[in-house]
Amino acid sequence: MAEAIQKKLQSELEKYQQLQKDVSKSMSARQKLEAQLTENNIVKEELALLDSQNTVYKLIGPVLVKQDLDEAKATVSKRLEYINGEIQRYETLLKEMERKSEQHREVLSSLQQEYQRAQGQAVGKV
Amino acid sequence: MAYLHDQMAAIGKVKRSKDLPQGVERLKEEHRKVVKDCTSQIEHWSKVEKDYESLQDRLRTLPDKLSYDIMVPFGPLAFMPGKLVHTNELTVLLGDNWFAKCSAKQADTLVEHRKKHVKNALDDLQKVVKNFQNRADFTDDLKKLTGDTEDFLDIREEVINEEEFTKGKHRLAHKPNSKPKQEYLLELEEDKEKKEGDEERTTGLLSEEELWARLDELEREEELQDERYRLDSTDTNGEDTTSSSEEEKEAEGGSGVQVNGHQKENGWVPSSITSQMNGTNGSHPEDEEEEDFDEEAGSGLPTIYFSHTAEFKKVRINTGKNTTLKFSERNEQKAQAKRKKKSGKSNGHSPHEGYKITSPTDIYRVFVDLVNGEPVPRKSILKSRSRENSVCSDTSESSTADFEERRAAFGRSWSHDDATHSDTSDGITEEESPTGTSPRTNGRFEAFTGTVIEKDPLPCSIPHLTIVPPALPTIPERKLEEVGPEALQEPPKRMSKFKATRLHQT
Repeated sequence: MAEAIQKKLQSELEKYQQLQKDVSKSMSARQKLEAQLTENNIVKEELALLDSQNTVYKLIGPVLVKQDLDEAKATVSKRLEYINGEIQRYETLLKEMERKSEQHREVLSSLQQEYQRAQGQAVGKV
Repeated sequence: MAYLHDQMAAIGKVKRSKDLPQGVERLKEEHRKVVKDCTSQIEHWSKVEKDYESLQDRLRTLPDKLSYDIMVPFGPLAFMPGKLVHTNELTVLLGDNWFAKCSAKQADTLVEHRKKHVKNALDDLQKVVKNFQNRADFTDDLKKLTGDTEDFLDIREEVINEEEFTKGKHRLAHKPNSKPKQEYLLELEEDKEKKEGDEERTTGLLSEEELWARLDELEREEELQDERYRLDSTDTNGEDTTSSSEEEKEAEGGSGVQVNGHQKENGWVPSSITSQMNGTNGSHPEDEEEEDFDEEAGSGLPTIYFSHTAEFKKVRINTGKNTTLKFSERNEQKAQAKRKKKSGKSNGHSPHEGYKITSPTDIYRVFVDLVNGEPVPRKSILKSRSRENSVCSDTSESSTADFEERRAAFGRSWSHDDATHSDTSDGITEEESPTGTSPRTNGRFEAFTGTVIEKDPLPCSIPHLTIVPPALPTIPERKLEEVGPEALQEPPKRMSKFKATRLHQT
């Protein structure tokens, strides 16, 4: 009896750990997105400081490609929006995963209690 | 005591007590980590800021000349002479693979703009650091507050046994808040005690009614005292037993009605005393059973798990002239009652008996002299008797000042005749006087002298005192110390007289 519980405990534990890993992965992805967000914001502000007299280049691979200032501004804005959207997506994902991990945690704790009880009984029996 | 500890553990109190310091430690660790991270980040950003500033300097000086002669790096290992031209044309990386061609001045503006961001980040980090620093300090203080054994002691009393008689409620009353008397005593005691006392006993003095009721109870108890006392003493099952025994004893009325009350107080006081002796749980020679001062390192702090024994120790304080004072801070209040009550009581029981002595070792455990707070086994139990008598548990509780007062109070009122005891107590009182200085510790481990009032398992507070009671001689020296707990043995006569008086009055 105790062993069965133990097995269950193990499997639950593994699932929980997997979930935790996913959570952390999403978390790091989200953090990266956030860094990009700040960067693009700065770029947007600095582009605003420039005037059309300055040429803007975009580095694509090893090539610096001339860009129009307005185009550049538009591109940066679009990128910003995209990043925001991604962040939102990750947020919801993270929440979902958090909830699931919470459920798993509860299951785990209950299993643990059962296991301990079983252990206690076993000890008592013995 | 171990048993009690186990019980405690079972209850989870011990765990809690242990968790606290660990938790605090962990919290501190976390705080420190955060603070470290923040400081490293702050360093990083400061460096960035400095770089930007030097860059700005360069930008300002760059367009001064049309071209500069420089040594141009040529690969990783070589330089070659060259010229820096178009000094005002700069290609600036805006971020995210975006570049812009700007003049030096425009670049300067951009740099300024970036520096603003860096400054914001730095400010935020500083704020975080300060916050966490404060938090860490607070947890430090908290830890000190709770973990400092010297100043603060946590006193807990596990009331497992809820089947207490009405007296129980007295006990409960005592428990949460110390009675005024306790506090009174506490004041006298050292500061260490104070904290505990404040925490632990805030129960005020029992009201007069309560006292009377108390007395009644004690009277009742006294009758059953002996048996119960013995029974209880043998029980000593952790707290349960003690609590129950205490209650029983209380119910039985012990020898001294007031004593009980006092005992309780004493118990309380000693607890405070014992708090100092945290960890010296087993060192109460007296009624370990009776009062289980489970001095245990409590929740992380020294915690004294106080458990009331059923009976209050009737402390007899020798106020001289064969007067036995009940050791208690409330002596004043109960002085009258006591007097009356005590008249009937004569501690015929040897102190030894009063304490639950079931084996020879018990004797040596019980009869110990308190020397500077350390229980010193007496060479001769017989001798100790007198000492015990003379020694008032009060010494432990309150400073000698208290004793004085009490003594005075009791001296007038008490007229116990413990002639025999007086003799012994005289000697003891003298001895005890010096020990009275360390009231708390002494009080607890006062030598068990004189007769032990079986009825009242003296609350540990005044271990030896309780023993003494019967033999509370009217030793003047006693007065000083107010051998407290002697009250154990209230002669039945006293009770009746007391009761009679009381009845008269009422």
